[in-house]
Amino acid sequence: MAPSGGWVGKILRVDLTNWKISEISTFDYVPKFLGGRGLGAKIYWDEVPPEVGALDPENRLIFATGPLQGTMAPTSGRFMVLGKSPQTAPTESFCRSGVGGHWAPELKWAGYDALIIQGKSPKPVYLWITDQKAEILDATRLWGLDTYRTQQMIWKLHGPKTRVMVIGKAGENRSRIACILTDSGDASGQGGFGGVMGSKNLKAIAVRGTGSVIVARPKELMEITHRIQSLFSRKSLKSNPYQPEEKGFKYNIWGGGYGRGSLSLLQGELLDLCQDPSSGYSQTPEGCFACPVSCRSHVKGPDIIKGVAFCAQSYMYLESLVHQPEKGYSKITWQAAKLADLYGINAYELMAIIPWLADCFREKLITEEGTGLPLKEIGSWNFISKLLHQMAEREGFGDLLAEGGQRAAAKLGGKAEKLSQMYYPRAGKFGGYREHWVYLGGFPTGYAVPPLALMWVLDNRDALVSHSFISMLWGAAFTIGQNALTAVPEKIFPILKPVMKAAYGSAEAAEFFRADGKSLNWKWTAPVVKRYHEHSLLKDSYIVCDILFPYLFNANSSDHVGDSTLESRLYSAVTGMEMSLEESYKKGEMLCTLERALAVRDGRTRKDDILHDLYFEKEDAGGRKYLREDLERSKSEYYSRMGWDVKTGIPTASTLEQWDLKEVAEDFQRRKILGQRS
Amino acid sequence: MNGEVNRRTILKGFTVGIFGLGGVISLGNFLEVLTFPNGQKVALAKGVILVDKSLCSGCRICEMVCANFNSAGRNAASLSRILLEKEYLGGDYQPKVCHQCADPPCLKVCPVTALQVDRQKGTYARVIDERACIGCQKCVEACRQYFRPSRPRFDVQKNRAVKCHLCFGDPQCVKFCPLGVLRVERSEKGLLVGYPVIKED
Repeated sequence: MAPSGGWVGKILRVDLTNWKISEISTFDYVPKFLGGRGLGAKIYWDEVPPEVGALDPENRLIFATGPLQGTMAPTSGRFMVLGKSPQTAPTESFCRSGVGGHWAPELKWAGYDALIIQGKSPKPVYLWITDQKAEILDATRLWGLDTYRTQQMIWKLHGPKTRVMVIGKAGENRSRIACILTDSGDASGQGGFGGVMGSKNLKAIAVRGTGSVIVARPKELMEITHRIQSLFSRKSLKSNPYQPEEKGFKYNIWGGGYGRGSLSLLQGELLDLCQDPSSGYSQTPEGCFACPVSCRSHVKGPDIIKGVAFCAQSYMYLESLVHQPEKGYSKITWQAAKLADLYGINAYELMAIIPWLADCFREKLITEEGTGLPLKEIGSWNFISKLLHQMAEREGFGDLLAEGGQRAAAKLGGKAEKLSQMYYPRAGKFGGYREHWVYLGGFPTGYAVPPLALMWVLDNRDALVSHSFISMLWGAAFTIGQNALTAVPEKIFPILKPVMKAAYGSAEAAEFFRADGKSLNWKWTAPVVKRYHEHSLLKDSYIVCDILFPYLFNANSSDHVGDSTLESRLYSAVTGMEMSLEESYKKGEMLCTLERALAVRDGRTRKDDILHDLYFEKEDAGGRKYLREDLERSKSEYYSRMGWDVKTGIPTASTLEQWDLKEVAEDFQRRKILGQRS
Repeated sequence: MNGEVNRRTILKGFTVGIFGLGGVISLGNFLEVLTFPNGQKVALAKGVILVDKSLCSGCRICEMVCANFNSAGRNAASLSRILLEKEYLGGDYQPKVCHQCADPPCLKVCPVTALQVDRQKGTYARVIDERACIGCQKCVEACRQYFRPSRPRFDVQKNRAVKCHLCFGDPQCVKFCPLGVLRVERSEKGLLVGYPVIKED
């Protein structure tokens, strides 16, 4: 069946070396690879051989939207950035990074589903895409400007309705942890694609579209959207869905007192100012495109940098809370995060680098003289402004840190490297991402949850970026009035059971440790993680929000069972092609195998799917430990469920054939990847 | 006594009645029909969308649902009859709605009377008759003199102008706004809104 909506049909290819612009058809790739992460992975497979380095001109920078972008489908403002990642350490490898905001719909309306950028321009340029055409324009005068200023300059030239993806100083200097930013803080951070963009001498991508995206079944789309809104829009959770909410009303998607934006979680100077109407500071909801929730807030005030508050930015400089305990979350904490935005540095990576520097300084492995940083006053404005400046400009010690925390630690070696393992959990050749087992899995400080460990060893960046699994744990905790610090796993098991049954097929999967309370329950880990990966791939390929989808936990119903059919129904309504839930999971499995193949081609095997020893040594808050043999057993089960070779973790020839990935099988044969190990 | 009371009552009633009637006639004249220099009369709209921009998060779902509903599934902000003006760095969002003006500049300039008052659905909204529109864009320009951006918009693909018609009485943008920024004000008497009460926006 041919699609009658969703994709607009063209992919734009920009060769910056020869300043050549061409187009290819999207339908060479879809509907098989859906869009977003799937589409990007396939393009990457076809065009970037493993020999190419991340910062080489031959690397591709792929901006891929999915079928839902540019339509009214809830949370469809997202898109994916893909390519060989300079951040993955020590081996550069394929990675993806999602971005929200308002850029993606403009690209679709301009007539393109995706953007492939290759080559390297001889001089700084930016790309201007509008209504079926693209131009490469000179950016000499934009080079060196911060991310906000660059956007303002481009808005002066092309109008304020233009949306711009832009890099800052860090990206220009090919930092491996530079982000690509749009508007006041939406950014593609993980993966370090800002550095890739900088290596191509590309400062910005400005997009403005006045076209349209056809929806095959508009009425059905409105019905599903209404259903989704009734599940989680703030308005509909009031008794009368058509009454406006009162100001200051607190609601969160998981049912707790989360409030508006993550800033509301952090008590202190800035929140007090925002809540005082006479102060001139304010915090207002700020929504990504077509989002029914608007979880983020826009913070502004007379002497602070305006912008959006996200979790990564809000938590980036928590050291300042320790430095100035009387002020709590202060203006300095905020300004630090926004300064990182202006330089275009990935705030998430800074959440590993700053505490690691503090550890190293405490252990006397680095000195103030040696680094040129005021390490005695970590938490102060003086420290963070100097650190960010050094990192963005690659001055002195900052030159090393701009390579990313894990690479910097490896360079210092010895104890410094050992200390960094706490922040970079994955051992092997494909690490480089800060730990992200939020909350209940806030190991080593929280509770050990077996699926989190397996997700972590298998992902090709930080795991749990798809918040579905963790949202479910959070939601259950919030429902019984617990919070991040008071959660007790035993108490949430009964609430989780029906939810886990519906989402992962087993109520027992909710019990992540055994009845004796001493040992972890690994029994359901592999099937749960497999389903989690399918959810994750699908969500990133239709492209809907990381936090809201799949909707597994309903805070406002009696049994708390969510609805995982929402995404596939959105897809069916938009494209006019029926997609059942079962069929979509198959698709997810296929795309997961393709991503695995990409990692395998870069040299990844079962040996790289491991955690540092540290994670097996520490006990969690309940006195339980991850055991290496349990993890290994779950890995084996996961591989065999996915149809990958259990010994090597490489997709087998028959699996590749089953998923119709002939080109992958042939390439594996040529490279003797299959023959050697199976 | 009875007679006296009756007389007084009648007299009082008369006076009040006359004043009242006069009031109704003059007010009614003013409210329900406005007479243009050329003698054309436009009934006031019975509904209008109001905005509380302090609640807005700038998610643009209002625009998308409008285009999806009114342009047969062509999802595009450029086809939306409600516009969201957003200042991204400053965090300032302004949904711009059609005011269904009491004295509609767009309606007056239409050379083919494609712009009409919708009596059929009873909303009395100012609507564009698709079949009659010739795509001259005079309404777009007329609106732009007072309201920027212009509320009637031009559908390039179909070569005709489109504008807010209150979705046959159930505005979808209001229904789908997740934060309750928009609401509908209704009055059977008609609402004196838009131009000339507000002359710019």
